Amino acid sequence: MDLHSSVLRQLKNRREGFSLAQPFYIDPDYFKLDMETIWYRDWLFIGHDCEVPRAGNYFTAQIGDYPVVVVRGKDGAIRAFHNTCRHRGHRVCTSDRGASAKLVCPYHQWTYDLDGSLVFARQMGETFDKSEFGLKTVHCESVGGYVFVCLADEAPDFAPMRAAIEPYLKPHRLWEAKVAHRSTIIEKGNWKLVWENNRECYHCAGNHPELCRTYPEAPTATGVQGAKDDPFIAEHWARCEAAGLPSEFRMDPTGQFRVARMPLIQEAESYTLSGKPAVRRPLSADVPVSHVGTMLLFHYPTTWNHILGDHAISFRVLPLSAEETAVTTTWLVNKDAVEGVDYDLDTLTHVWTMTNDQDRAIVEENAFGIRSPAYEPGPYSLDHEGGVMQFVEWYSNFMVDRLQGREAPLSAVA
Amino acid sequence: MNISVPNYRHVDEMRPWSDREHRLACVAVTPESPDVMTFTFRPDRSGLWFRYLPGQFVTLELPVGPEPVLRTYTLSSSPSRPYTVAVTVKAQAGSIGTRWMFDHLKPGMVLTAIGPLGDFSYVRHPGRKYLFISAGSGITPMMSMTRDLGDRSPDSDIAFVHCARTPDDIIFRAELEAKAREMENLSLGFVVRQAARGQLWSGLKGRIDKAKIALLAPDFLDRTVFCCGPEPFMATVRESLASAGFEMKNYHEETFQPVKPEPPVVVADPSGEAAPTKVTFAMSGKEGACEPGHTLLQAARAAGVRIGAACESGLCGTCKVMKLSGEVEMNHNGGILDDEIDEGYVLACCSRPKGDVEIEA
Repeated sequence: MDLHSSVLRQLKNRREGFSLAQPFYIDPDYFKLDMETIWYRDWLFIGHDCEVPRAGNYFTAQIGDYPVVVVRGKDGAIRAFHNTCRHRGHRVCTSDRGASAKLVCPYHQWTYDLDGSLVFARQMGETFDKSEFGLKTVHCESVGGYVFVCLADEAPDFAPMRAAIEPYLKPHRLWEAKVAHRSTIIEKGNWKLVWENNRECYHCAGNHPELCRTYPEAPTATGVQGAKDDPFIAEHWARCEAAGLPSEFRMDPTGQFRVARMPLIQEAESYTLSGKPAVRRPLSADVPVSHVGTMLLFHYPTTWNHILGDHAISFRVLPLSAEETAVTTTWLVNKDAVEGVDYDLDTLTHVWTMTNDQDRAIVEENAFGIRSPAYEPGPYSLDHEGGVMQFVEWYSNFMVDRLQGREAPLSAVA
Repeated sequence: MNISVPNYRHVDEMRPWSDREHRLACVAVTPESPDVMTFTFRPDRSGLWFRYLPGQFVTLELPVGPEPVLRTYTLSSSPSRPYTVAVTVKAQAGSIGTRWMFDHLKPGMVLTAIGPLGDFSYVRHPGRKYLFISAGSGITPMMSMTRDLGDRSPDSDIAFVHCARTPDDIIFRAELEAKAREMENLSLGFVVRQAARGQLWSGLKGRIDKAKIALLAPDFLDRTVFCCGPEPFMATVRESLASAGFEMKNYHEETFQPVKPEPPVVVADPSGEAAPTKVTFAMSGKEGACEPGHTLLQAARAAGVRIGAACESGLCGTCKVMKLSGEVEMNHNGGILDDEIDEGYVLACCSRPKGDVEIEA
């Protein structure tokens, strides 16, 4: 039986409410299929508008086999290109990030304008037509300060996502924020394990002492069900919405993305050990009230986010191999906030630096155990792991439908 | 090079040569007089023709050593024959670039060239009648213009006056005499300093002066004058014309400095006071002179300082260097960000010093 059929059969016959079979977490062929079926076809969070504040600013990223560069043009638009020279394929931009008037391949100085058009290539003969050799474009959309790219020839419609998340993001003005800190960790585990770990707080009490000072462990806050019935959450939404901040839990019918504004515990305003704001200057002047909790934005397969009153934290997941995943965390603050004056970097980053490392250890130990021949799929907690079940459901639905050649349908869980 | 049997193509089916994309392939080396050679070039690809004005110059990059030198030569060829270009050069004592051409440049070799450039052309300064007056290898732009006019409008009225050391040193003499048979209104006037004993010379002898000009071109006051030769020669012509009441706006000259090892690129210099500036290369610990109108990149090459460069037109940004002091005039093509300029960076290929400059190179 070929790989497609085998994966399809396994997903269709999977036991609902149970974790996936071993090869989904460790097999390189399954990984390749994940990349082709999910990663090379969906919109992926890649970075923030404020990482390319001016014309000529760029950053690069590696998405599976695809090197990509995101650059702001002279017209202010943010574009993404395949970062491979049309001459002999050398990476055009070789730094993580930088500023350049033109994108110049270091190999033979083929020179591309910021809109990707080839403007100079030395001595290529009279039949050479530069217009045929611009950088190949990657679909790119910016919403509320978040830049998404899609590697597919034809990208899924971005409009539903924009319509859903823009009102939630807009008050926080993240497109004009400032990156206070950025860290990338490599977790030695499959990207789905990284997500599964993220999608529940069943593990928080035993593993995240710093985070649990301020973040509620309640599945209503983390998961996908019951939030509206939680009076604490309902009261929070009412108060925030009255202040003009869209807050209620909203999820796309496919289950791929969702937004909600969740309260922190007690009087906490930020992810600090004290619960007090880490940044003296509010993130946005458009958020008129305090104690707004955390705006949660999830978009499979690349990003989860926490947007608070004083700062925002974005997480970007990029798979490196069947058993390695890079997670980039970016701390954003008001563009005018000054390190050492308005905030102390250690205080700002402490909780999630610790939490990330704890999660990394969990994911790696989880991956170790799954490699055991004795591993078999186990049952999720219905009370606590609804979020994980929803993630696996989403993954399975998207994979099955695409392997069968159909569009992704509505998720049954939502 | 594999262009020996080009397909026949009409000019309108071909593309103009461009110094950004194409180089020059030497196709002929022709002796003209004892110290003078003509080097003829065609594009290093087929299907190209040369677009330039008669009288313009090119700058050749000559690989004399580890660092190439740049040398500027007026074209002696005519744009009416657009498949090749030619420079006719005289080997002077102490020359480096031209000496290299004499000793090493052979058919089949390919050179990088910049240009063509220049305003010294009847096209830019048209007149009813012309006086072309030259000395030594200052004849080359005159030859280019005469050949062009001979092809385009053979009835053009040209008084062609040329000064040489001896009759043997008259470059293009046979061709000019043939042209004078075809062109009814082309008159030739040769002036030599001396003739060898027994050598037949029925023309004028001595140095140029007002009387000789009046003799060889009696209606010179009505003519548009193009003058090219050593500075003392041109000074004499200028003074002769001015003292005869010539309308000097109809006088055009091209600097020609035969003994100077590095002839500068001719550039517009309204003040006429341009002098080389000093360029200090901080990392190399070297100093060099930058000729008026030359770029930092040219100055660096002349001083043996290597600066990476590719497009040499202010586009690709490869030659970006930090300027530590001094002022330059930079005309880039978008190869540098405003932020980088604010930080003190310049593109060496398109920055011309306005005084002494220090760069980090």
